[in-house]
Amino acid sequence: MQATTAISTAHLSKRYGRVVALSDLTLDVQPGEIFGFLGPNGAGKSTTIRTLLGFLHASGGSASVLGHDVASQSVEIRKRIGYLPSGIDLYESLSGAGVLDYLADLQGREPVRRGELCERMQLPASVLKRKVRDYSRGMRQKIGVVQALQHDPELAILDEPSEGLDPLMQQAFYAILDGLRDEGRTIFFSSHVLSEVERVCDRVAIIRAGRLMALHDVGELLARRKRRVQLRWRGVAPDLADVPGLADVVVDGDRISATLQGAVAPFVRAIASPSLEDLTIEPARLEEAFLEYYADDRGPESADRPA
Amino acid sequence: MNLRLVVQTWRWQRIRLLVVGIAALIWGGLFPLFYVQFSDALRQLARSGAIPEQLLNFGSGSLFTLPGTITLGFQHPLALALIGIFAVGAASSVVAGERQRGTLEVLLARPISRRSLYASVAVAMLAMVLLMVSLVLMGMVGGAALQNVLDQLEVSQLPLVLLNGFLLWAAFAAFALAASVTFDRAGPAMGLSLAYLLINYFGEILGSLWSAAAWTQDYSLFHHFQPGEILTGSLDPIDLLILGIAVVLPIIYALIVFPRRDVPAPA
Repeated sequence: MQATTAISTAHLSKRYGRVVALSDLTLDVQPGEIFGFLGPNGAGKSTTIRTLLGFLHASGGSASVLGHDVASQSVEIRKRIGYLPSGIDLYESLSGAGVLDYLADLQGREPVRRGELCERMQLPASVLKRKVRDYSRGMRQKIGVVQALQHDPELAILDEPSEGLDPLMQQAFYAILDGLRDEGRTIFFSSHVLSEVERVCDRVAIIRAGRLMALHDVGELLARRKRRVQLRWRGVAPDLADVPGLADVVVDGDRISATLQGAVAPFVRAIASPSLEDLTIEPARLEEAFLEYYADDRGPESADRPA
Repeated sequence: MNLRLVVQTWRWQRIRLLVVGIAALIWGGLFPLFYVQFSDALRQLARSGAIPEQLLNFGSGSLFTLPGTITLGFQHPLALALIGIFAVGAASSVVAGERQRGTLEVLLARPISRRSLYASVAVAMLAMVLLMVSLVLMGMVGGAALQNVLDQLEVSQLPLVLLNGFLLWAAFAAFALAASVTFDRAGPAMGLSLAYLLINYFGEILGSLWSAAAWTQDYSLFHHFQPGEILTGSLDPIDLLILGIAVVLPIIYALIVFPRRDVPAPA
């Protein structure tokens, strides 16, 4: 069954009594994309995922995954997806291989990707033979990644997937995701690690206190960000007043700092001079966009916001 | 129902099943021995008036007859412990324990409906209960054969005793399973299930020891388990009906409540 959207929500909401965990969430995830779902802890990311999987019942609105309604066709959805929960817990008394076998059996699909995934996540047979109770947090997370993807799902829903992975394993994991995207698989990627969302995702939704704050193409979002520029100048400072996108200009002796939004070329043309001694243009970071949406939350009271 | 889940639920319990199963068999085998060794002495003691006969009864059982001894064997606190390990202990933690350990997440992410999940663990648990009741009964029959008193039992009635015993313990297991799908932690589920078992037990024992409190027996599920009566050919079908209702009601509750409840992220 080919769905026009991998995930679609319309005014989805979830309340626990008077606490609003998710409010009026409307978004579409297209087939073949890696969709980042960004927000701090307690913003509603896991609530959204759990509603999509049928673990939670929506208080309002509707949602579908791979064309199936989440309220009435949850089993059909789970046949076609892979899910990695945040901080996954596994059966302590089973071996790593035992866990993967058990979950593959329950999935009802051959674990066609297990060998490849175990190799890339550095899970040799000797490690898989050991009991899960003897595994480190990172090893458990690797098993979590493999169990979510081993049956080659059309859609992978990954909640904080790189949690506990060391930097080398994170790179291996990102490479796996790149490969899945190249094969046309869809990935819904929840995280609060901005750098990995920036590295991995095609589009990103930013969620705050259960509400969707922004939904952008990552490239576009970064293009719209203000870059910090700094330059050192010998002699009289150049006139930068007419440079489009340049703002917040501060002259401090021979140093000039400013922010630049949009195209870089007009700025470079304006400063092209033998008097230019040094120039730094910091790359736009998703972090700035994120912090902009959370600007009001940076006060001390933000930690008390309900999920 | 998911067969893989049924098999795995048994695998989780395999060591316990083996150890407790052997203990149940031995326990059952001891009661015909007790009957042969002590029934005459106890009867004389009762006739002498030294101890009121009421105090020599325990629940609906006694050591005065072999069927009464079999009833006693099933109603003894140790029999409660042996069968209750599965009917209450394992059943109450089968779903709530997965939830508490966080493994319910990965289980529910598979294409298994919650009703199917419940049905699978319920079948696995009820089969364990059936096995334990069977082993106690097999021990009793084996013990009676070894003591050469098997002729005092209506052997053709044994399947009815098994059915009656299974229904009693299935009622406690069904209650424990209902508690298990209701709570997020195994502790409260097990506590409530154990309380249900003990209240029923207390009602039966209190009523048998104290005539003024005999009415409490009517409200105890244990009072509807009467192997002694069955083995003497006087089964009351109402007992089976009441136990059947006590099995079915918690199952209906669980099948309605479990699919409808939210399963939030583990704490």
